[in-house]
Amino acid sequence: MNLTLRILIFLSGLSLFLIIFRLLRRRRFREELSILWLLISITLGLGSVADLVIDPLAFMLGISYPPALIFLIFFFIVVLTMFYFSIVVSDLKSRNKELSQKVALMEYKIRELKERIKG
Amino acid sequence: MSHLIVIPAYNEEAMIGEVLGEIMEREPGMDILVVNDGSTDRTSEIAMLAGVKVIDIPYNIGYGGAIQTGFRFAVDYDYDYVITMDADGQHDPESIRNLIDTMEREGADVVIGSRFLEGTYRMGFARRMGSWLFSWVANIYTGVKITDPTSGFQIYNKRAFSYLSIGDNYPLDYPDVNIIMALHKMRFKVAEAPVRMIEKRNSKSMHAGLRPLVYVIRMVLAIIMVFFYREECK
Repeated sequence: MNLTLRILIFLSGLSLFLIIFRLLRRRRFREELSILWLLISITLGLGSVADLVIDPLAFMLGISYPPALIFLIFFFIVVLTMFYFSIVVSDLKSRNKELSQKVALMEYKIRELKERIKG
Repeated sequence: MSHLIVIPAYNEEAMIGEVLGEIMEREPGMDILVVNDGSTDRTSEIAMLAGVKVIDIPYNIGYGGAIQTGFRFAVDYDYDYVITMDADGQHDPESIRNLIDTMEREGADVVIGSRFLEGTYRMGFARRMGSWLFSWVANIYTGVKITDPTSGFQIYNKRAFSYLSIGDNYPLDYPDVNIIMALHKMRFKVAEAPVRMIEKRNSKSMHAGLRPLVYVIRMVLAIIMVFFYREECK
C-alpha cells in the first residue's frame, strides 16, 4: 500500500468521525445509534495500516488472498449494522402504531366534545 | 348489551356508503365504527355523511392495526361485544345474527364467521389451498374445527377484545389463524358459525394487495411464534 493511499484512507475515516461528532454535538444524531458509526469510522481510519495486521492474520486463517479478509470483515460489520437497524425499525414501527392509534382515538374524542359543546 | 360493528376501511369510497346502508337497515340498534386507515379518498367523508362513528388514523397502519383501534375504542366506550366486518361488501349483514346466536349457544369468547359452512362463496385455487392449509394447522392445535380462519367477519366478547386491544396482542398485518391459536393458548373459547359471503364486488380487499408468497412465509413464522408465547393467567 503506498503512502498516498494510506493517507487517503486515514482521512476518510477521520472525516467520517468528525461528521458524526459534529452531528452528535448538534444533537442531530442519537448517541446510541452513533456508537456503531463511530466504530466504523475508527475501523476505516485504522484501515490505513490494515495491511500490517491483515496480511499475517489472513496467513494465520489460511486465506490465500489477504484483501478477501478485509471484505469479510466489512461484510460482517454491514450485516451486524443491518441487523441492529432492523431491530430499531421494528421497535419504531410498534411505537408508531401505538401513537397513531392514540392520536386517532383522541381526535375522535375531541370531535365528540366539540359537538357536545355546540349542541 | 351493547354491540359495536367495527369496519376497517382503506380507500373504500366506492363501496362504503352502500355497505353502511345495508348494515344500518339490517341492524339499526347497533353502533357502527368505521376505522379509516389512512385513506386518500373520500372514505371518511362518506362514512361521516352516513351518520356512523368514524375514526381517522393519520396514515395507513394495516388491517390488524385498524381492527385493534376499533377494539381500543370499544374498551374506552365500554361496549359488550365487537363485530368486525370488511368494508368491501363481501360480508352479508344478515349473518350477524348467526354470529351472536352461536356465541350465546356455545358460550364462546370469539366466533368466526365461516364462508365454507354455507357454501355460497367461491374463491381461487391458491387462496383456497392456503386457507385449507392454515385451517388444518389451527384444527390440530386448538382441537376445534375451524374451516375459515382467514375470515374477517367475527364477533368478540368484552374479555376477548379487551385482551386483543393491548400492545402487540393483535398483529398489525395478519390477524389470521395465528390469532385463533394465540387465543386458544390464552384460554379463550373460539367457535365458528356459518355466514353468507358475497364475492368481492368493486374494491380491493386489504388482503388482496399482499404478495401471496410473503404472506404465506410470514403466516408460517407467526404460527411458529405462537408456540413460544408465554401463557398468561386469565
